[in-house]
Order: sequence, then structure tokens, then C-alpha cells
Amino acid sequence: MNQETPMTEQESLDLITNMIQKAKSSYHDTGIGSLLWGTVVTVASVVTYFQRTYDFSFGFDIWLIVLAAIIPQIFISVQEKKSNKVKQYEDDALNAIWLVFGITIFGLNIYQMIVPDVTNAFIKQEGWQLTKHYLNNSKADEPINAFTPSIYSLFILIYAFPTLVTGIVKKFKPMLYGGVITYGLFIGSCFTITEYDFLLGGVAALICWFIPGVILRRKYLAQQKANV
Amino acid sequence: MSLLISVKEAEFTFIKEKTNATAGNLSVQVQKLKEAGYIDVTKQFVDNYPQTTCKVTPEGVKAFEAYVKALQAYLQVGKNN
Repeated sequence: MNQETPMTEQESLDLITNMIQKAKSSYHDTGIGSLLWGTVVTVASVVTYFQRTYDFSFGFDIWLIVLAAIIPQIFISVQEKKSNKVKQYEDDALNAIWLVFGITIFGLNIYQMIVPDVTNAFIKQEGWQLTKHYLNNSKADEPINAFTPSIYSLFILIYAFPTLVTGIVKKFKPMLYGGVITYGLFIGSCFTITEYDFLLGGVAALICWFIPGVILRRKYLAQQKANV
Repeated sequence: MSLLISVKEAEFTFIKEKTNATAGNLSVQVQKLKEAGYIDVTKQFVDNYPQTTCKVTPEGVKAFEAYVKALQAYLQVGKNN
């Protein structure tokens, strides 16, 4: 007959430490969400850079692929929720941050679409207009529409925020470094023309989500392999 | 308890895997902790499969903290003697 031997106090403490370590190391994001967003935002940003630099069009707005990515993201979220066997304390807070990030990006798109037209209407009501004036008088003045200058810099600024928070909270260095570097890219983009802002935005998406996504995916697959 | 204390909630299968306990043995332990009011146990069906989720209660956290403090105090006394 088996007889249980009582644990010593030191063994009890060691067991507690060991279990806490196991619980901490058990969490691995599948990485698919990061890969998805990293890919679509990088592609859309870099393509926009080339479109603006070499003046060509695909006949549709490349940023629609970012909008379309919401559909697989919903599917991924549902699947991950079902397959997650453990929920960490910070998961709900981080999910809320990413949701608010999505809403903020959406809001900024709305701002970009609405504000120039509304501004044009207001200044027209006031009886004046914006004009492009060449300092060397090489060309005649041209009336122009109101626009939001270098707005992609603001997108880059917002890309950094949830990425850095996730990196800090999850102690996941690739996202932490990604977030910090992206703040640097934001500062850089304040001094560049819009075309280069898109290129910098592509780099931001690459280091914030795509590269961390690859690392997360590799870790996840390695863990799955170890569990087989 | 040590495993559950560091997460918000965990499935029975996760605890079984991490503790290397048998399902029967773990069920008994889970039942004892539930009766003591240290954990909440939720049973539901997900995609036609039964799913048992365990979560530490505030009483469980207090009891665990008291236990760890007692252990630490005991070991500290041993070191000082």
C-alpha cells in the first residue's frame, strides 16, 4: 500500500515556486493575430509609398485589405478563446487596450475622411480659400482644398502605444523594443514628407507586429510540439 | 493552489497537465478546495464537450498567503537557530 510522506516546509515552498513558474511560462499567444496585422499594415503602407512615389494605382484602395483583415481576426479571436485553457489576470485589460486601439485607428480614419471637406465648407462660408503660392513666382497661385498634413505620423504614434503596453505587461521584449523603436519612427516621420511617413509606418508594422508575430508563432508551435 | 494563484482561471485539463496528477486524484483535491471555499468551480459544455474551470476565491488567496507566510516564518526561524 502506498503511504504518503509529508512534505518538508522547504519542499512545500519549492513546489509553490515551481507551480508559479509553470503557470507563468504556460502562456503562449498563437501569434496569428500579430502576423495577420503585421502583414496587412506593412503591405498597405509600403504599397502606398510606392504608389505615391511612382504615381500608379491598382484601381482600388490598398487599405481595404486592412479593413478586410477584421473578418479573419474575428474568426481567430473566437478560435483562440475556445482553445485557451488558462486565462491570465492581465488578458482582459490587454484585450480592452487592443480594442480601444482599433476604435482609435477607425476614428482617425473617419477624421481624415471628414475634416478636410468640412474645413473646406467652413472656410468657403467665411468667404476665403486656401491657395498654393510659389515663393519664386514661377507659377500662378492655385486654389487648393484643405488637407490633414502628415497624418500618417499620428497612425505611427498610435501603433506604438498598445504594442509597448503589451511588451511591458507580458514582459515580451520583441514588442517592447518594437514599441520603443516605433516612438522613434514617429519622431522621425514628423520631419519627413508623407511618402516616407508611409515607408516608416511599414517599418513600424513590421517591428511592432510582424516580427513579434513570427517569434510568438515559433514559440507556440514549439510548445505544441513538446505537448504531443 | 500554487498553480491557480498565478492565473485568473484555468481549465481542469490544464491543471492536470501541469501537476502531472491523475484525473481522479485531482477531482478529489478540487472538490476539497471547493468545499473549503478556496476555489470556484464552473462546469459547462463547450462544443458538446464538458469543460471544468477553476478559479481561486478571495478567501483562497488569503488562506494561501497565510500559508506561505507561515512557511517563510518557519524557515526563517530554522535559519536563525
